[in-house]
Amino acid sequence: MDGNAWGLLLQGAWTTAWISGVSILLGVFLGLVVALLRLAKIPFLDQLLGAYISLARATPLVTLILFIFLSGPTLGINLNRSTAAIMALTLNTTAFNAEIWRSAFNNFSKEQREAAMAVGMTPWVYFRRIMLPQTVITSLPNLVNEMSFLVKGSPAIAVIGIVDLTRVTNRISAVTYDPLPPILAAGALYMAMIGLLVWGQRIAERKANRLAM
Amino acid sequence: MPEQPEVSIRNLSKSFDGIEVLRDVDLEVKSGEVVSILGSSGSGKSTLLRCINWLETPDRGEIRINGERIGLQDKTQKPMSRRELAKVRTQLGMVFQSFNLWPHLNVLRNVTEALIYVQGLKKSDAVERAMAFLHKVGMAEKAASYPATLSGGQKQRVAIARALAMQPKVMLFDEPTSALDPELVGEVLSVMKDLSSEGYTMIIVTHEMDFARNVSDQVVFLEKGIIIEKSAPEIFFHSPRSERVRRFLELDKVV
Ligand SMILES: Nc1ncnc2c1ncn2[C@@H]1O[C@H](COP(=O)(O)OP(=O)(O)OP(=O)(O)O)[C@@H](O)[C@H]1O
Ligand SMILES: [Mg+2]
Repeated sequence: MDGNAWGLLLQGAWTTAWISGVSILLGVFLGLVVALLRLAKIPFLDQLLGAYISLARATPLVTLILFIFLSGPTLGINLNRSTAAIMALTLNTTAFNAEIWRSAFNNFSKEQREAAMAVGMTPWVYFRRIMLPQTVITSLPNLVNEMSFLVKGSPAIAVIGIVDLTRVTNRISAVTYDPLPPILAAGALYMAMIGLLVWGQRIAERKANRLAM
Repeated sequence: MPEQPEVSIRNLSKSFDGIEVLRDVDLEVKSGEVVSILGSSGSGKSTLLRCINWLETPDRGEIRINGERIGLQDKTQKPMSRRELAKVRTQLGMVFQSFNLWPHLNVLRNVTEALIYVQGLKKSDAVERAMAFLHKVGMAEKAASYPATLSGGQKQRVAIARALAMQPKVMLFDEPTSALDPELVGEVLSVMKDLSSEGYTMIIVTHEMDFARNVSDQVVFLEKGIIIEKSAPEIFFHSPRSERVRRFLELDKVV
């Protein structure tokens, strides 16, 4: 592989990284919002969100991406490829994250809540100061797991013509007629990205180690 | 004008799944009084205590702290907003059997958290007040430790400091020593005894008979959700009116 090929490869890696990164950040946050809305058990909205979660978890990524990208113009919205990709990845990962957050909230100790109520904390203060910091820590392994699923599932975005880290290996080998080196390099780059996520998780866990759960 | 009771409970009733756990309970606690609540397991002691700060919602009856209604609006009988309820609760400190410390916060922050985020104290003021109360319960040296590293007796003393630091009018204790190894019971009881001599108003659910005898001003005996005896400790422990209490005390002697 020459310098030109490496340049293309890194461009592909960057595309995968930033689209995944934005989707991960949005998905973790929106998953939290969906989980909280579901905890509030607001009639109708709760069923609606429940249906969204089942649907999003059952739909293959490729299908979801195509659907969003193609239905945009029909609805008169002009989506560029990256936006469509981020929307699809976010819709997908939010559904999984919502369930991760929700189970962490549901399993959270009732005793700690009562102690907070007894000193006069409002539900919001309790959530912000007592429950959230601890559920972040307990959910982290599952959230990071879901993040790495997202990165590994991200080649699906090539279906609407985005040249991501997987797609770019095709382009390179079309010129070099040697498909193995770019694929091996892409594999290493995927591993690096996921390694970065796991490394971040380890640091957070170490900080939280004094927590006796 | 007669002195207003610090806590007044009237006609309190509560059912769980159609089973009546408290029935028409009346109780008045004066300022500085220590009231012990005794009774066999399942008699409704915890439920009574938890109704006082509205951790359980009673079905009927009214509870007043210093004349101020908790849980329901006085005029409309409608439930208080969560914010109003939280405000009334700051007048009541509660200590739980299982300590219920927050594991992600160190000892100091377990005490300062509500001072800062409920009472709105400046951080430096909160720390100063928290250290004073930690000192009072003999836990000042452990201010930087996390709950997981403490013994049960130490955890309970921190929990007491956490409640005291809010400067409540009344302290509620639900079997504060029942989860402790026998050799750790004494350190917690001694803190509670100090509080009673300092004039704190306390309502204590306990199985510690000697403590109830020596520290209480009133002893209350609950049986199936009904108060069947309410008397001064001298009377309660020596010549109780009810046959049931006599049996309960004899049983305790045998064990
Ligand atoms: N949240 C609840 N839901 C259903 N039943 C409950 C609940 N809390 C308490 N009970 C029932 O109410 C009754 C009284 O319980 P409570 O905890 O007040 O008893 P207690 O006197 O504190 O007993 P112990 O000495 O064992 O702590 C028991 O039969 C208990 O099973
Ligand atoms: Mg109890």
